[in-house]
Amino acid sequence: MPFNGKSGKFKAAIKEVEIGCGEKAIKLGGENVLPFYTFDGEIANAPKVGVMISDKGLQDEVEGVAAYYAGCETIADLAKKAAEMPGADFVALSLESADPNGDDASVESCCETVKAVVEAIDAPLAIIGTGNDEKDNELLVKAAEVAEGKNVLIMSAKEGTYKSVAMSGIQAYHHKVAAESAVDINLAKQLNVLISQLGIPVEDTVMHTGTAAAGYGYEYVASTLDRIKAAALAQNDNMLQVPIVTPVASETYGVKETLSSEADAPEWGSRDARAINMEVVTAAADLASGSNAVILKHPASVATIKKMIDELM
Amino acid sequence: MSRFVVIGERIHCISPVIRKAMDEMDPEPILKRAKEQIAAGATYIDVNIGPAESNGPELMKWAVQLIQSECDNVALALDTANKKAIEAGISVYNDVNGKPLVNSADAGDRREYLDLAAANGAACICLCSAGAVPGSVEEIQGFCMELLEHGLMLGMEPTDMWMDPLFLVAKGMQDKQQQIFDAIKFFTENGLNSTGGLSNVSNGMPKELRTKMDCAMIAMAMSQGLTSAIINPNDKNMMDMIKSCDILKDRYMYADSYLDL
Repeated sequence: MPFNGKSGKFKAAIKEVEIGCGEKAIKLGGENVLPFYTFDGEIANAPKVGVMISDKGLQDEVEGVAAYYAGCETIADLAKKAAEMPGADFVALSLESADPNGDDASVESCCETVKAVVEAIDAPLAIIGTGNDEKDNELLVKAAEVAEGKNVLIMSAKEGTYKSVAMSGIQAYHHKVAAESAVDINLAKQLNVLISQLGIPVEDTVMHTGTAAAGYGYEYVASTLDRIKAAALAQNDNMLQVPIVTPVASETYGVKETLSSEADAPEWGSRDARAINMEVVTAAADLASGSNAVILKHPASVATIKKMIDELM
Repeated sequence: MSRFVVIGERIHCISPVIRKAMDEMDPEPILKRAKEQIAAGATYIDVNIGPAESNGPELMKWAVQLIQSECDNVALALDTANKKAIEAGISVYNDVNGKPLVNSADAGDRREYLDLAAANGAACICLCSAGAVPGSVEEIQGFCMELLEHGLMLGMEPTDMWMDPLFLVAKGMQDKQQQIFDAIKFFTENGLNSTGGLSNVSNGMPKELRTKMDCAMIAMAMSQGLTSAIINPNDKNMMDMIKSCDILKDRYMYADSYLDL
């Protein structure tokens, strides 16, 4: 009998979501095959790489990151430089100064930063909140207002914030919003259902389904991503046919492999190299499991992951 | 594995409202029932026009075009003894949401409905009986293999032959129920799709008991791998049961709102 190769192309597809405006706008999702399975069918939109900057500036950054941004004086300068980073598709601005358990900066001062950044760059922008529901309910709503017209990605709408964040971000100011859940496929789906029950089309949302650094319970992240893609494509589950954006740097710069100085852990070698390694392994695994975008920090990591994507596409 | 396929049974010429609408070619009652069933979660809508000896082809064409044009080309099961009417229905059918489903062939004198399905690129419900109530699961298996072989000879895909074990009334035929479960298990083990007129099981029972018996039957049948049933999707108990069974069969991802989806 002749061999009949079967295509692994699915009848279902991930919805396509656009972020940003003009020539630099990016499209996430749209695929109807498993991650990087270009032999089964064309993947129109390659996974994208975001570059994270903090509104706290360059505090305690590793050597390679600090060196890249040398000479930048304002957050807007950082944003411009991030947008120019080779391999970068978008910029992700973390408003971590607003964290009530940290600097607790005011919503107004954060929004001034947002305003300065959206005016400084024409690359697509993601705005990352503090993770504190109470603060984000106010902060992300205001940030959406300030960024009106820029089609930014607001991160994130969670169980405790989705009503205000999704309603303002999408309904009022026509941005895109990431629905965030903590490595739990059932909650990820439920949050999408709840957002759709507000009358918001799933097409205006992406998912942030949770993140971890490699070696820190990462298996759950990978299996959640795998199962989401399987349910979305094989079971045609329209509540999960949403692109996935996974922040990586926010996790990998908080683990001891990256934090320990060379004086404290001489046997581990260069801290800068460790930071890159943690970021690259984690991001590569996220992408292989189905993330449509990852958010990184180090220029060497961005270049490496971009090269990996280009060569696999 | 894909989700359970509900074939909505409410467009049936035995219903006086539908009978009258078909006689007068009045769209409203038919569209109303089609839309109610789709909203409740039906994947296929069964269109039973009865024997329709005088105007079968004309009536089926009208019904197919009417329902598909108003309901986003929903997939349809074409249910009549009039073969010309089935052919006429398929000639105007849009298969974007699923092949037309011929309802139905059997292993007796309705075998040629399988030929008709094959010749027209349709799927076909294959009743594993030759007219009488099958005496044993072995008999059902025999009819299944005969029909399968016949369809394969005609070039059909095995998954386009939806095997029907013949659901039987519980009241009076309790001893026949186990063979139905065994037959479904056999279909499942052979990778075949399965369906049937499930509410037969509760025929003759008081109305308030019927939904309970139907729910028990669907749960037990789905545990054996049943992939579809011809039911009333507007029975919420039944749809909730099917959705719950789909979760337990890992055919659909759980979320707290799964019954709303």
